Amino acid sequence: MATLDLHPRIHATTILERRELTGGVILLTLNAPELADATQPGQYVMAIPPSGEAAATALAVYEAEGKRASILFFVTGKRTRELATLACGDCLDVVGPLGNGFDCTGHARDVAIVAGGVGIASVWLCARRLLSRGANVRLFYGARTAELLVEAQRFADAGCELVLTTDDGTRGERGFVTDVLARSRVPEMIYACGPSPMLRRVGAIANGLGVRAQLSLEETFGCGVGGCWGCVVPLTSVSAQAPGFPPAERGGSDVVFARICKEGPVFWADELRW
Amino acid sequence: MNRQPALATKLGKLELAYPTLMGSGCYGSGEEFAPFADLSKIGAIVLKSVTRLPRLGNPTPRLVHTPAGMLNAIGLQNPGIDWYLEHELHKYAGRPCKIIGSVAGFQIDDYPYVCERLAARDEIEAVELNVSCPNVASEGETFGCDPDLTARVVEAARATTNKTLIVKLSPNVTDIVAVARQAENSGADALAVINTVRGMAIDVETWRPRLGNITGGLSGPAIRPIAVLAVYEIARAVSIPIVGQGGIENLTDALEFFLAGATAISVGTANFTDPRIPERLVEELQAYLARRNLGSVREIVGRANVEIATAHQYEGDEG
Repeated sequence: MATLDLHPRIHATTILERRELTGGVILLTLNAPELADATQPGQYVMAIPPSGEAAATALAVYEAEGKRASILFFVTGKRTRELATLACGDCLDVVGPLGNGFDCTGHARDVAIVAGGVGIASVWLCARRLLSRGANVRLFYGARTAELLVEAQRFADAGCELVLTTDDGTRGERGFVTDVLARSRVPEMIYACGPSPMLRRVGAIANGLGVRAQLSLEETFGCGVGGCWGCVVPLTSVSAQAPGFPPAERGGSDVVFARICKEGPVFWADELRW
Repeated sequence: MNRQPALATKLGKLELAYPTLMGSGCYGSGEEFAPFADLSKIGAIVLKSVTRLPRLGNPTPRLVHTPAGMLNAIGLQNPGIDWYLEHELHKYAGRPCKIIGSVAGFQIDDYPYVCERLAARDEIEAVELNVSCPNVASEGETFGCDPDLTARVVEAARATTNKTLIVKLSPNVTDIVAVARQAENSGADALAVINTVRGMAIDVETWRPRLGNITGGLSGPAIRPIAVLAVYEIARAVSIPIVGQGGIENLTDALEFFLAGATAISVGTANFTDPRIPERLVEELQAYLARRNLGSVREIVGRANVEIATAHQYEGDEG
């Protein structure tokens, strides 16, 4: 992964723009020049709740350009509901950028990005980076229903080839995006973000094909900065991302629990032992 | 010019510049929070518990957010004392605050074994005995739930060090005061009150527990009244200092604990809301004391005026 010498800090931002992309899907654009400048594809922030009444929320940095960084989220619970009430001009403090994101370097010419639902928020910067270095990018993008395939056109406009699926068949092919991935032209590299079942399937497909895949994992975070060991995933102890802890034997190989917030959130599929 | 009210306090021999600790397992080594929190403005960091042997920890998920709090079941993931001493502990040298080690165990002998090795190191200025982790055995908290077992653990650890020994108590007992008394009688210098409250959450779509460990420990504001009561009752029964903890997020919360009888307070889950909370808390505490012309935080410890409450109650009864 793109391991960085991180200098995360607290950014006092102001909301420049709030858009409800579809019912319950919010895009907040923040005035955050230093965050925008520092953020790498696949990194995230912890948004500090203005009320102080709940834990901070981990959110992928969707866009980062000039003075503007944005977050895109589905309203799913108390914490995202509070963030959804923010309006233009309101303040939002965020900690970031955090985590090790996607490695977009290398020579892969034909790459696939797989996004499920809100996972789309983690892959825009990745797509941009890959396109800018001349890669051919296919976006396999799945959601429950057509209206939740937010921002799809934007990826197409930027130069991605779209492969869309919905659970109910209201747009694109009916079914899971991973099923389409499995029978498509084999890419040289896969980038993915979405729900865990989707990522496990992407990992299995990639490992089966011998293609390397970078998976951005989701998990409930505690501190979000590596202090609590609440968001872990089993990783082979020989991974470059393994935290320097003594490994344990499990399922015939040495594993360590790596923190998704700190060592991740992006991991190589062939190094996960989940 | 008025002098600034004093915030310094003591736990046994341990002198703290501020009466604020960062709870074990909530603050890493401090390094994780250093980019956004001023470590010179906190009293001490209590490190994550270390055990005799390495522990992989519990299966995932390990955390669930719940109303006004959080359930966790990390399972004491740690590299074991030998690795810890060799590879981890040196990182804690030179921190601008005090460092308190934390020991957990599964047999009584584990505590003196780990405590002795940990306390022998200069980086460690005090040791907390975690006899109350709710997430590691099916019975849970074998030691901290039994006054006599607690006494044996504390005695054994006490024999290994002269540094300040803090015993972290479990709220998952019928009579926490009895455990507190035994800890004091066995040589504890201070008590940490309270550890998490056992709890469970179930996913109603999958019908499965939401924690990999099935059960977990509840922290956050949801448990604060439980913790305040425990501090209040224990403070009246023992003469050693108490570190009050359980859902402290702001000055008001902290004051409740001081008034109930805590000499210092500990911030845990609130660091997950905003890492600036501990620093803000000491600034607000100082301002509060100044406003009331109090010279030191020590002047408010245990000052909850229960007599007045009692008088009102009698008036009501007579009316």
